[in-house]
Amino acid sequence: MRTLALVLLAGIIATPASAEDQAPATDQGAQNHRDHMVHAAAPPACAEAKPRCAQTAEPTFAKDGRLWLAFSVGDKVYAASSRDDGQNFDSAVVAATATGGVIDANGEARPKIVALADGALLVSYTARPEKSYNGTISIARSTDGGKSFSAARPLIDGAGQRFDIFLASPDGRLYAAWLDKRDAEEAGKSGKDFAGSGIAVGWSDDGGKTFAGKKILLDHSCECCRVSAALDRDGLPVFAWRHVFGTNSRDHYVAKLSADGAELLGGRVSEDEWATSCPHHGPSLAIDSAGAWHVVWFTNGKARKGLFYAKSVDGGKSFSEPAKFGDDGRAPSHAALLSANGHLYRAWKEFDGTTTSILAQISRDAGMAWSAPRVIASTTGASDHPLLIEHKGAAYLSWLTHEQGYRLLPLPREQAAATTRARAAVALTGK
Amino acid sequence: MFRKSLRLVAAAGALFALAGAPASATEFKPYGRGSFAELRKQHAGRPLVVHFWSVTCPPCLAELPDWAKIASERKSLDIVFVNADLDNDRPRAQSRIDKAGLSNLVQYGFADDFVERLYFEADKSWRGELPFTALIGADGALVTVTGAVDDPLIANWFERAGK
Repeated sequence: MRTLALVLLAGIIATPASAEDQAPATDQGAQNHRDHMVHAAAPPACAEAKPRCAQTAEPTFAKDGRLWLAFSVGDKVYAASSRDDGQNFDSAVVAATATGGVIDANGEARPKIVALADGALLVSYTARPEKSYNGTISIARSTDGGKSFSAARPLIDGAGQRFDIFLASPDGRLYAAWLDKRDAEEAGKSGKDFAGSGIAVGWSDDGGKTFAGKKILLDHSCECCRVSAALDRDGLPVFAWRHVFGTNSRDHYVAKLSADGAELLGGRVSEDEWATSCPHHGPSLAIDSAGAWHVVWFTNGKARKGLFYAKSVDGGKSFSEPAKFGDDGRAPSHAALLSANGHLYRAWKEFDGTTTSILAQISRDAGMAWSAPRVIASTTGASDHPLLIEHKGAAYLSWLTHEQGYRLLPLPREQAAATTRARAAVALTGK
Repeated sequence: MFRKSLRLVAAAGALFALAGAPASATEFKPYGRGSFAELRKQHAGRPLVVHFWSVTCPPCLAELPDWAKIASERKSLDIVFVNADLDNDRPRAQSRIDKAGLSNLVQYGFADDFVERLYFEADKSWRGELPFTALIGADGALVTVTGAVDDPLIANWFERAGK
């Protein structure tokens, strides 16, 4: 501490400090912590407006074929585009500067970007105020191809919203959903117990300028896990989230917005017997061309532990028996699911103590059988959750890592095509 | 991304200390690769509780006062808190710790974004769910518990570890 203070007082704050220098000592406590040091150096500071300096990168493809990423560094949310599927990016544009607190930018809650059919871009972020874990979701729009963005505006007046997700339907309507604590706050004011948040839905018919609805349609969602969304065959959105059932049972709910926007209709995916806990580990949803709902999730319940897959062919009234995937010896986590061109893809993280790998599988029969898991990419440093994105009928892994930066890697549909199409070290193959 | 404000936080802490800031202000030591093993080594021969929490975990926040009670009642236990948030949430973590009366405990904060590794070092099957508590007996036996402090596993361990 004395050394560190002297160094700082000498005005050499910008000098890269070793991990040892960073360890603040204290006179408190009888324990022997004074000598404790972090063995491995923290990653170097990185504050440039580049995806690799961000915690998360959210992708979307624009109609002109450009790949756009939304990410945040410091108090700014950026949008950057690539004309070569993520190999090179143009200079990032500031989409918004957060003023209401810290930007949510972790695997679960993160800046989002949507490319609309008319070419407009919509970027969202959540800022959490200093003294609360509640947030305010704000939206900025660009109508000049991402050269500039409008001033960010809050989606809802007042705080209490986080974990936003946006989904554009083919008819031009833009749907939004988020976890909303308005009802929880009301209950709190009158001294009532209230489990979790609520799930709220809104929609915009003017490209995200204004949203209607914006009501909480179902109360008692969990409050620290992402919401996933997919469009059903009729263009209406279906959402998946972690929910509080009964007094304290945490399981997953999948439900579809009714045509009048007044209800969420669906059901419980499984009964995993998991009580209080904050996994920061939300589900992923995909809907295939036959209208089957597919969901993957993580649980650490008494009934089952790990990553699981199930599907519903009756609009969420019932789900198939949960089917485990991933190597339990390697802490499989953060699974993503995608339906593209008649196939289902799932990808997830595994960690062996040194290396984080993204594994993927393909199913050609709507989730009945899956190919052998294959490693698509790996890293030995910090990384974002794996995301899957469809573009022109093909499935891609979208993944940001500290060491390798941003990567967009195709998941080949055919074994024969794997060798020519995959840029990944090991390609995803079929049977 | 990746921990850019760590040095500034350290700098602020150092300057506060020099300015004679009140002793109640919580300092977070960096928790990185190897820290879990280091803690076990430092506390070898004594029962140790390492509790991981986050400001974005409502159940964690709800039980902070319970931990303050446990810390005051069970003096023979070494209790260490590890905040699993990023740097930019540390001021929030500090105010929560101070408010709950836990600032007399040793506090750490995640100082490495490679969180999978930090989780793995405490428990190979831990994927970051919180609250998470590692209980290490005087004999070195490790038990990990995901979930609230009122979990019977934790209560039973406390009884065995003594007051």
